[in-house]
Amino acid sequence: MAIFTIDDVEKTFKSGDVSEKILKGVDLELNEGEITALVGPSGSGKSTILTIAAGLQKASGGQVLFEGHDMTQMSQEEIRKIRSSEFGFVFQSSHLVPFLTVEDQLLLMLDVAETKLNKKQQKQEVAQVLELVGMAHRKEAYPSSLSGGEKQRVAIARAIIHKPKMLFADEPTASLDSKRSKEVMEIIRNLTKTLKITTLMVTHDEEMLPYADRIVTMKDGLID
Amino acid sequence: MQMAWKEVKKSKMKFLILGSIIFLVSFLTFIISGLANGLSEDNAALIKNVPNGQFYLNEDAKQTYNLSKIDVDQQDKLLADYKGATALSIQMGFVNDADDKQHSVAFVTSTDSELFPNVKDNEVVLDASLKDDGIKVGDVLTNNQFSGAFKVAGFAEKQTYSHAPVAFISMKNYQEIYRVMEMQTVFIPGSDSPDSVKGLESFNNKEFLNTIPSYGAEQMSLNMIIWFLVVISGMLFAIFFYMMNVQKIGLYGILKAIGVKTSSLFSMMWYQMLLITVVSLVLSVGLSQLFSLVAPAGMPFSLPIETTLLLSVVFLVIGFIGATISGFQIKKVEPLQAIQQGEM
Repeated sequence: MAIFTIDDVEKTFKSGDVSEKILKGVDLELNEGEITALVGPSGSGKSTILTIAAGLQKASGGQVLFEGHDMTQMSQEEIRKIRSSEFGFVFQSSHLVPFLTVEDQLLLMLDVAETKLNKKQQKQEVAQVLELVGMAHRKEAYPSSLSGGEKQRVAIARAIIHKPKMLFADEPTASLDSKRSKEVMEIIRNLTKTLKITTLMVTHDEEMLPYADRIVTMKDGLID
Repeated sequence: MQMAWKEVKKSKMKFLILGSIIFLVSFLTFIISGLANGLSEDNAALIKNVPNGQFYLNEDAKQTYNLSKIDVDQQDKLLADYKGATALSIQMGFVNDADDKQHSVAFVTSTDSELFPNVKDNEVVLDASLKDDGIKVGDVLTNNQFSGAFKVAGFAEKQTYSHAPVAFISMKNYQEIYRVMEMQTVFIPGSDSPDSVKGLESFNNKEFLNTIPSYGAEQMSLNMIIWFLVVISGMLFAIFFYMMNVQKIGLYGILKAIGVKTSSLFSMMWYQMLLITVVSLVLSVGLSQLFSLVAPAGMPFSLPIETTLLLSVVFLVIGFIGATISGFQIKKVEPLQAIQQGEM
């Protein structure tokens, strides 16, 4: 069953008098608990469709339906609320908050998502999730003392700590070596399957494709 | 709040530098304010010590008290009509002690009044600062315009005028020294809405202070320095938080992407600004109050706690405005742009 529907989405970028159509009417349905990998050459529009789906930029046309609600018609505040409570993000760079410890990064996300957990429950939840990503022993560490792989594990933990319905991952393994990439993908797959999180992932790395349930190829702003 | 505090804890040096600058600027402001107050006291304590009221000067005096002469009949009528009214005159002069050492003073005389010491003929009541020059009760002082001699009858606390200690003398002695029968001004206490008196111009206490030569210019210069420092500190806040916000654009973008409210980011900045300012101000208020206790005796320094508290509030408001202006960048940050910029 489709939890997320992208319907005839277009995106045109304008620079002065010049305009370029990056997305030319993309249709895509994401089923609950499924991992969908978006692949395609550079400039095909895969990152653009991911950021539009995640509510990080507006579409020029078409509809983006999350649980039947059209996000293109929502206010910025409504989209922010969905992003904070229903979506999780993993980016190419981990983008951790430099002055927060690993544990605090996750506690912050629980606060932002306005979960109803009390402080003690929040700490227990953080401990569990850190255990799942194999980072429990580094909970007091700051990002500056973590390796690339460790940072990305923490970023994944931050993305799923509030049990979102959707996970958006933009090249989550691009900055990691092959071994670390596989470890990170295994974590993403295990967690999203366990928590039934629907995942849309952009990747260039063919080695990551076996971890996806479905592979969608984009070319010239359209689903191929 | 927690995030703001955690950043302060992690980046101690950065916040310590800003805190030190705010501390130094506010401390300097308090010290200059103390000097301004001290000089103001030194210049006009005699006037500042009297209750609120109206000073009447002759209209022809061009708002300069030492050019004013109140007609004797008019003076008598005013003193009879208004309870507590007093006529007074002030003139700069000097007295010589037994060793013929000259001391600059402001001679003051008044009609019978509770506001000023009532002095008998050939006696003088001096400002207590003259004790430091070795003058004691019972000493005899002279003046080359005065045929007799003044016996020191006592001392009065904090009675200075035009940076000179006041010497209260009787009206008869004053009239002999300055060869004038008329008083310069009539003071009527407590009249908020001054009655107009034909031929006279009224001034409230603050306005009268400005008729003292040099008082206005002196205070204006010092107050200008104080307000410049306050404005500079506001600009420092704006610049510091601007620099810090520029460094954190990527972070703000990511935080916005994961759903942090823009208002929460502003709160974080305001909390940090408040924390730094309050800590810096507590230190500078404490140190400036300590300085007022140990300031050299000859230094005109007066820093009431009310003044430091008022300036502290101004610093907080200015800091808030400075930080908020710089925070408009936060509003403009696009999450997508930050994500595409890569690692912070």
